[in-house]
Amino acid sequence: MKVQMLVMSRSRWNMLLAATLLVGSLFIAATRVRPEATVALASPRPAVVTTPAPQENHPAPDFTLLDLAGVPVRLSDLRGQVVLVNVWATWCPPCRAEMPMIQAAYAQYRTQGFTVLAVNLREDAPTVARYMEQNRLTFPALLDRDGAVGDHYQARVLPSSFFIDKAGVVRAVYRGPMARSMITGTVEQLLAEEP
Amino acid sequence: MYPLVRIGPFNLSSGGLLLLLAIIIGSTLMERAARRRGGATLTDQASRVTLPAVIGAVIGGRLWYGLLNWDLYGTNPQLFLALRLVDLAWPGALLGGVLGGWLWCRLRRFDTAAIADAAALGLLPTQAIACIGLLLSGEAFGIPTTLPWGVALFGATRHPTQIYLVLAALLSFAALHLLGRRPAPAGTLFAAYLLLQGLMLLLLEPLRADSLLLPYGVRAAQVAGLGLVLVALVWLRAHVVSAEAPGEQTGGRLSESGV
Repeated sequence: MKVQMLVMSRSRWNMLLAATLLVGSLFIAATRVRPEATVALASPRPAVVTTPAPQENHPAPDFTLLDLAGVPVRLSDLRGQVVLVNVWATWCPPCRAEMPMIQAAYAQYRTQGFTVLAVNLREDAPTVARYMEQNRLTFPALLDRDGAVGDHYQARVLPSSFFIDKAGVVRAVYRGPMARSMITGTVEQLLAEEP
Repeated sequence: MYPLVRIGPFNLSSGGLLLLLAIIIGSTLMERAARRRGGATLTDQASRVTLPAVIGAVIGGRLWYGLLNWDLYGTNPQLFLALRLVDLAWPGALLGGVLGGWLWCRLRRFDTAAIADAAALGLLPTQAIACIGLLLSGEAFGIPTTLPWGVALFGATRHPTQIYLVLAALLSFAALHLLGRRPAPAGTLFAAYLLLQGLMLLLLEPLRADSLLLPYGVRAAQVAGLGLVLVALVWLRAHVVSAEAPGEQTGGRLSESGV
């Protein structure tokens, strides 16, 4: 039995193919992810408010948390470095999605004075250690077992990211997932500033 | 979001459980479709293709994810072998699954086209269930939107991409069922499946906020989607499109296996 489902000549079909290729390619180009607008932090540094708060241009609220080896890490000890405080959890998909980008920025800028404190919210050390190991993440992960630092930083949204400059001032706050260019753009600007 | 299910001392990921359930239901449906369309022989063949196809899908899904996260995976190739359900990507899983299934069919001289048709009917319900899992875990989250049906997730009102994916799978399933009632050469249903999957990747991917990117910000899944659409159209041209138009007989291959 001969089947004739689509009565259309081959040349017409070829035109359909070409049109699909053209329109599809244009659609892909039109919906591509454009680089974010270049990160422009207020510069030169504005007059700084003195009350610590997890907001731009406030001194970063200090905290001390244990890392995975049980060693206390204090934020204010990192004065002089550019610090990304990233509040996250292993069960949070957008946190996981941005981890490779944070790792890439850490590997690239670590020697220039950039570090990351990955503040894990309310999970236990084995869970976090396993995740860091499986994903080959080498920056320090800190355990916020009771969520106190998360509360203090008003991290209602996971992930929440706070970029702290060499003087210990919060300079950029991103709630929700970050794009790669946001991380590198912010870090590069803060590293370029005089200590 | 209910990413974890607590059963006694175990924390099981709801997405993983649903995926497992989806694969069981999907392979059952595939075998039923095979029985309906080709009897016991085809059922037997179909059931023996499932495992190679799933293995191909796992390899393809992880390769796709790893190659597009190259700055991490390139320096840590062990990650390619990590036993985790997340960090698989659907376009890679689809391509890998098709490749795995096809190679096995060729090797065993199975009825590739008929098995592919049955697989298409089983795959879509699998995807619909698996995408409900995405909704529970918050995976594949969308870009921010002001549309009234946006859902609050991760600090913004976002497109419910997971629901779009479920609907796309259900609509595609309905379309394939309608198409399946008409006589067509073996393989047509699968070609239609690839066409619909390609359209889904092409059209829904721009609403996702976690796309894996090629250079210039091009979303990799869309390129795969367009490729699938074109492959399906080329296959349909060779097997289904009428070569009857005057003067176009030359080189025209008539469909060999009418149902």
